[in-house]
Amino acid sequence: MNAAATQFVLSRDSLQAREPQAKLGRFRRRGYQRYVHFMGGLDMAFLWKRRWFFITMLVGFVLMGAPTPAGLTHEGQMVLIMSLMATMLFITEAVPLPTVPLLIIVGEVVLLKVDPTKVAQSLMTDSVLFIMGSLMLAVAIVKQRLDKRIAWWIVRMTGTNVYWISFGITVVCGVLAAFIGEHTVAAMMLPVGVTLITLTSNDPKKVHNLAAVILFSISYGCSIAGVATPSGGARNAIIISYWKDFFFDPTDPATRRFLMDYVNWIIYAFPMFMIRLPIVTALLIFTFRPEVTDMSRAISRLRTQVSMQGSMRFSDWLTILLFIATIFGWIFFSSQLGLGVVAIAGAAAFLVFGLVRWEDINGGVNWGVVLLYAAAISLGVEMKQTGAAEWVAASVFDAMRAVGASNLLGFNAVISALTIAVSNTMTAGAAVAVLAPVILKTAVAAGQDPVSAGFIAAISSAFGYLTPAAQPAFTIIYASGYLKGADFLKIGIRMMLLSFVALIAISVLYWPLLAP
Amino acid sequence: MVFRRSILSDRQEAAVQKTLQNLRAQRRNRFRILACIDGTDESFVTVRFGARYLIQNNCDLIILMVRPIDIGMNSGGLQMRLARQSMLDAGFEIPGVKHLKRALDILKEEGIDVSAWPKESAHQDAWGDPAGDNKVEYRSPEGRSVVLKLKTSPDVAHGILDQYELGPYNLIIVGEPSRWRGEFKSFFDSGVVQTVTTMAPCSVLVARNSLDKKGYFICTDGSSRSMPAVRRSAVLAHVMGQPITLFSVADSPAGKPAAEEAVANAKSLLKAMKIQVAETRVAVGKPAEEIVESGSLYRMIVVTDEGRSRLQRLFRGSTATAVVRKARTSVLDVR
Repeated sequence: MNAAATQFVLSRDSLQAREPQAKLGRFRRRGYQRYVHFMGGLDMAFLWKRRWFFITMLVGFVLMGAPTPAGLTHEGQMVLIMSLMATMLFITEAVPLPTVPLLIIVGEVVLLKVDPTKVAQSLMTDSVLFIMGSLMLAVAIVKQRLDKRIAWWIVRMTGTNVYWISFGITVVCGVLAAFIGEHTVAAMMLPVGVTLITLTSNDPKKVHNLAAVILFSISYGCSIAGVATPSGGARNAIIISYWKDFFFDPTDPATRRFLMDYVNWIIYAFPMFMIRLPIVTALLIFTFRPEVTDMSRAISRLRTQVSMQGSMRFSDWLTILLFIATIFGWIFFSSQLGLGVVAIAGAAAFLVFGLVRWEDINGGVNWGVVLLYAAAISLGVEMKQTGAAEWVAASVFDAMRAVGASNLLGFNAVISALTIAVSNTMTAGAAVAVLAPVILKTAVAAGQDPVSAGFIAAISSAFGYLTPAAQPAFTIIYASGYLKGADFLKIGIRMMLLSFVALIAISVLYWPLLAP
Repeated sequence: MVFRRSILSDRQEAAVQKTLQNLRAQRRNRFRILACIDGTDESFVTVRFGARYLIQNNCDLIILMVRPIDIGMNSGGLQMRLARQSMLDAGFEIPGVKHLKRALDILKEEGIDVSAWPKESAHQDAWGDPAGDNKVEYRSPEGRSVVLKLKTSPDVAHGILDQYELGPYNLIIVGEPSRWRGEFKSFFDSGVVQTVTTMAPCSVLVARNSLDKKGYFICTDGSSRSMPAVRRSAVLAHVMGQPITLFSVADSPAGKPAAEEAVANAKSLLKAMKIQVAETRVAVGKPAEEIVESGSLYRMIVVTDEGRSRLQRLFRGSTATAVVRKARTSVLDVR
């Protein structure tokens, strides 16, 4: 500090600090900051993410205010609007999927004025029990870690040639997926597939086509078998329950064929699986042409790993025994006990024998799916009871006649194409639950067999092959990182067309022989 | 009484008021500088200016970093706040601490080493933000103090103005404005520096990188508002040991004698206080343009704020803010 400066004290002689005047300015400033803070708390991104929810609600309320069309009751109109809103929410996924069933339940009570107890009763049916039980069973089986042994059994039968291995994987995955959920089988077998690929080469680029063949064998095996038996997927159980609810009349013995039992379903649908088995392998081989055809190196390493696991333990044998017992239960007792009760008994047996912990089941089952199917079935039943399904069916049939699709072939092609289109945009089970009432009623209006129409809806809904997100089994193998979205499209289009042709052929040539 | 402001007895209330008065008086006896940084390289020049002023023992330098709350669309709203909370829980630094540490390094370069001074820290929740307001105070044995403050606020400019009310400051130093709207547009959208310069109750120094230049360029229009400002800023220049240039602009040749008189008055005022004036200059033209043109060679232009309200400025403009906006050197806007 220089001498000249000492005579001045900055605080006294230089710039002054004014006392802050706590007048309006301060309140205004705090108020402005509170406003900024509040507006910041409003998450516009969140509102934007939910935009389809608001749009759906708006569309719904506008339609509810619209005049009721001729031939339709007010409740029927409400049900149709609710189905439309549910479909929009399914497709856009604006809210978490299990929210939609909750909204459906609320809507049934509030909009349709159905007695709450009745709504609650309509939620829990044997199909829903079956969906719940088979999900629990699936978790229990995956927990046993039998995947490497299964792979070893496959290659013991097929040898080391990749074509035969691919076929073997498809068959085994298919047979498994015919009885337990397809996504479960995919999740169980994916580690084996990836093991086989990595044992062949560590560089994913060198074995891309091999990876595609093996992984698609798993997913298509699961996917084509999902319709083979009633327990292959939720959509099958839904169709069965619709047949019973819509057409079965205890006083009329002629309607007994609408009580579809396990064996009957297999007689109808299993050929669809058998026909497509060789098609899948051939398509895969011709589409992807694997780099390596002899997999003996990978298999010798797999052999080592299986030997390291030791011999089969008691719990492994018990698992197989319980699984086979459940399948027997489905085949022989489901007409008396119901599919759902058998599935639940199987799950209970796994728990009783201590093969799986409840915590694992609780964490592994997606309970939202159970809710989803429960509410979708309930809505479908309301659709029939209010006459909405018949009204839509009549309109659809008129439209079909207008385009000249009223004969057997044309009718089947149209409903199959419709179901494929819808199920490529949303979950197959939900698509069936929403579409099936209309399709069944249209079949009646068109003078076609509702059983055949129901099968077409259930089977076509599994033809969503185009994107990785179209099917749970696809999503699972896509997660392995070996495949690109374009691969799914490449094989998916061919597979979809061939499946469509196969389905139409079966529906025209084979099913009429079974009908009385 | 229902309308009593306090539940204390009159005697106690008087004692409280007296304590408050004493505290205010103590604050007033100190020369308090608020240097605002935002973490960019350019903004640290405010710390350098602040450090230069920290030459007397009764000076306080408060280095303020105002961090906007993590809000809005671009940060994902609530999720961001949760993420911040878990970052803090995991022991990560609050954002902004890094910049304040850098400010300390700059103080060291300027010859103020606070690492040996005793330190005190405080934390306060603000706006429901997990980071909140944080403060570290270093107090030297001679009485100087350096405070690092990290403040959280929904709006940066208003956060700085809030900080003013916590303890009145003699001088707010802000960095160069990156955007400056016209008077009309600023009603709706004005930058941080513009808001602070127009709303601050005390003098504001808009610091640009001009520390390599010399001299204070003090402008006057000869008005009664301008004279005390000239006197006080001249004291500052004198204490800093910088040469003083007095300057006045006449808007027409006819007004030139009046401008010369204003400069002469200012010079004699300073002479009475034994403050040397290096040179005096007078120009003719538009005030803001002349000041910017002549003053840009000096370390700092000193202008007197007209004290006009926003509405008045809308119609009449303000020479002081025009200079702050256009100058190529630091500008001290004296109030």
